[in-house]
Amino acid sequence: MTTSAPRDKRLPNPYRMVEDQFAIGVQLLGQVLILWFQTLSYMVRGQIDLKETVRQAYMIGVLSFVVVGITALFTGFAMSLQISRELVQFGADTAIGGVVSLALVREIGPITAGVIVAGRVGSSVAAELTTMMITEQIDALKVMRVDPVKFLVVPRYTAALVMIPTLSVYAMFIGLIAGIVIAQGAANVPPDTFMDSVKQTILDRDFSVHFLKSIINATLIIMFSCAIGLHTRGGAEDVGIATTRTIVWTMISIFILNFVVTSLTYAPR
Amino acid sequence: MSPRKPNEQPVLELKNIHKSFGDRQILKGVSFNVYAGEMLGLIGPSGCGKSTILKIICGLLEPDEGEVIKRSDEIGLVFQGSALLNSLTVRENLAIALQRRKLGKGEENRIISERLKMVGLEGYEDYSPTKLSGGQQKRTSFARAIVNDPKIILYDEPTTGLDPVMSTIIEDYMIELEEKLQAACIVVTHQYSTWTRAADRILLMHAGKIVWEGTPEEGINSEDQYMKQFAHATREGPMLAGAFEG
Repeated sequence: MTTSAPRDKRLPNPYRMVEDQFAIGVQLLGQVLILWFQTLSYMVRGQIDLKETVRQAYMIGVLSFVVVGITALFTGFAMSLQISRELVQFGADTAIGGVVSLALVREIGPITAGVIVAGRVGSSVAAELTTMMITEQIDALKVMRVDPVKFLVVPRYTAALVMIPTLSVYAMFIGLIAGIVIAQGAANVPPDTFMDSVKQTILDRDFSVHFLKSIINATLIIMFSCAIGLHTRGGAEDVGIATTRTIVWTMISIFILNFVVTSLTYAPR
Repeated sequence: MSPRKPNEQPVLELKNIHKSFGDRQILKGVSFNVYAGEMLGLIGPSGCGKSTILKIICGLLEPDEGEVIKRSDEIGLVFQGSALLNSLTVRENLAIALQRRKLGKGEENRIISERLKMVGLEGYEDYSPTKLSGGQQKRTSFARAIVNDPKIILYDEPTTGLDPVMSTIIEDYMIELEEKLQAACIVVTHQYSTWTRAADRILLMHAGKIVWEGTPEEGINSEDQYMKQFAHATREGPMLAGAFEG
């Protein structure tokens, strides 16, 4: 017969819980910032393993193309359908292209790619690094005097800085194709009219903001997943906890910083 | 063990090492020396601080108090679970350890092939560690630990989880490497055959302290209450007293 320790039946103190979570959050943000500066210092000195970077670019970028494409296509379909319906009612069907492209370039492109890559890549990086911690592979690197930041984080971050903006642009174009199809099918707007509206509406600044957001997303995804992975200890259960933590923190920070960038660049003056 | 020269300095000295994790005091003043060409067996029940000592020696942990004097910076560590990087091949696992020496490709491959041959794994250069058996993974871990000709080699439970035949093979490699490299070696183990066959001298640890020291032969015949209980694997004795009560 097995006996378990008596369980604490007292309700948790909500104030204490908030305090604990705040402390954990501050600690994690500190770890992320330190890791980011360490990674940048290697990159500035050109200490990047190109072979590993190419391998990571394949894992992060190429393997995400299908899932990002499907998500962007259906997001584009749904959004264009809603916009077309409203604009047709006001007789502004020639503006469909402009409104759809504005949403895609400024918000939907970077957010779609960011959220999908956070789910697919962020979780897998956190799980991989946590497993490496638990199985002493990171300790083995340290004993061989190889810095895990240089060996594991730098190639992942470099690859993400190239591939996540690429995926964002790709998501934007797929969304635009979906917009053209819906505008033609649901509102009878020919592709030429749609594209004219796009050209008149989109500014160079929109592409800069799009690029900035995707760079921020790449940084958040890789830094949170690596910081959590490199600071987790324990057993198999902790791999799951680290993965969940990574997704929660990355998603929250992507949406918050997306809003911050939007408010700094597009807020009415 | 090779005969010790007069006034020979130890390759590794630990002086009064203390280490705590939170409220738990793991090491309570551990001191010992290891000489070149000597295999020191660190034995004792689980949780007595053996692996913590290895981590302190190779710099993965800092002692709270005390001093570690190393007369060589070149340390090889064989991990209990091999700790090979599964995303890399056997050759790449060994090449990481050689990275900082900035050798040419030819020289690097020559050293890797030579070390793999020493552990009986020639021809396995391009295998993924996941395709190797437990014994082969352990031997790859050995090859990686000795790739830079270390003067200090640490083994953390090298034969745990292996069948008796593979354990004997691994113990033979340890004895062979100790003689070939004339390194100061420490083996942390529970396995009777490992400390009796491979170690030249043993230290028995209990509750963060060294409680007995001697040769394996002396250990087997010892009347010391700790050593007798550990060597004969009995419940009667001071170790784990009360662990199953209540």
